[in-house]
Amino acid sequence: MAKIRRGIFEIRVYKELCKACGLCVAWCPQNVLAEDDQGYPVTPGLSQCINCKLCERHCPDFAIEILPPEEKVIDVHALLHTR
Amino acid sequence: MKLQTSFIMREYLRPEMLPTTWCGGCGLGIIMSAIVQAIHFRGLDKNQVAMVSGIGCTGRMSGYVDFYTLHTTHGRAPAFATGLKLARPDLTVVTVMGDGDAMSIGGNHLIHAMRRNIGMVAIVVNNNVYGLTGGQSSPTTPIGGHTTTTRVGSFERPMNLEALARAAGAPFYARATVNHTAALTKLVELALGVSGFALIEVISNCHVLYGKMNEMAEASRMIAAMDADTQRTNPTLQRRGQWPLRLTSPEAPSWQAQTQPLEGVSGEPRIPRGLIFQRTGSVDFSRRYYAKLDEIRAKREKGEGVSKV
Repeated sequence: MAKIRRGIFEIRVYKELCKACGLCVAWCPQNVLAEDDQGYPVTPGLSQCINCKLCERHCPDFAIEILPPEEKVIDVHALLHTR
Repeated sequence: MKLQTSFIMREYLRPEMLPTTWCGGCGLGIIMSAIVQAIHFRGLDKNQVAMVSGIGCTGRMSGYVDFYTLHTTHGRAPAFATGLKLARPDLTVVTVMGDGDAMSIGGNHLIHAMRRNIGMVAIVVNNNVYGLTGGQSSPTTPIGGHTTTTRVGSFERPMNLEALARAAGAPFYARATVNHTAALTKLVELALGVSGFALIEVISNCHVLYGKMNEMAEASRMIAAMDADTQRTNPTLQRRGQWPLRLTSPEAPSWQAQTQPLEGVSGEPRIPRGLIFQRTGSVDFSRRYYAKLDEIRAKREKGEGVSKV
């Protein structure tokens, strides 16, 4: 039984803590994050997120958080066999 | 290496004090989260840790974390931590200081805490400038660095904390940057396991005051520059004594001319980061102190070794 994780990661930005410094946007390797007109991070490329957590680690104000999707257990071997 | 979640942070912070008063993009928040994560991954309880801080931007850190905290006078954080560690040897003491706090006004306290080998983790945040008071040049401003008091570029030799720690007898010295956050967390985690004075110099950014005058006005640019300006130490070569020949080889006398000044955030040679040196067999001062006390007590009970006047 091989487990794979399906779904899209959820990125939460707490605007009451965020100071719009742009570090998370600068460090995102997948261009998930972008700045809006006030400098706060928004997530236009959310489906590209790979959960590297560089934005969380580089956030000086603990204002961004990545939540993993729910884990679905999918039997890869059975899928391959049906093909 | 486990990864951070902000859920971890929430348990260890005082939410009523947030958001922090630091400027947007300041590396102090990254350092604070690294300390908190290291304490979490070390498995320490909140009530086993005390954080002592001095004055400055760094001194505010003790207000945000939910440990036992002491916000003390300027430069005297190691002195207060010495008393705390001797009174409560069961506590894990984390001392955070800025570069002005630790090296200029509190230099003597830092030296004698290292000499006595008081059991604490001392984190010296080095941002090359006096941040809180308006960007005056500090003991670590590199040669040529522009600050509000050195408009044409500093020409003083910056202080070398590494050589100082080696000379004063600190058993653990590491250097990290706020760019390499995983390494920073790991080094704090290592330092928490040291019996004795563990010193970590963290190269941080002050893009608002120092960066603005040195053409690095953005936080991301200043932090990204740390990657090119520092070099990871190679533990294998270090064991063989081949790296680095500059000043960290154990045989090198620390007072000689080869102890070059810390060149700052630009120019060659690149500053080594990582675990620079570690002395084995270090014993915490408080343990030796209480052992000595028991010894004297035992002697008195027998009536020996006491001068009768």
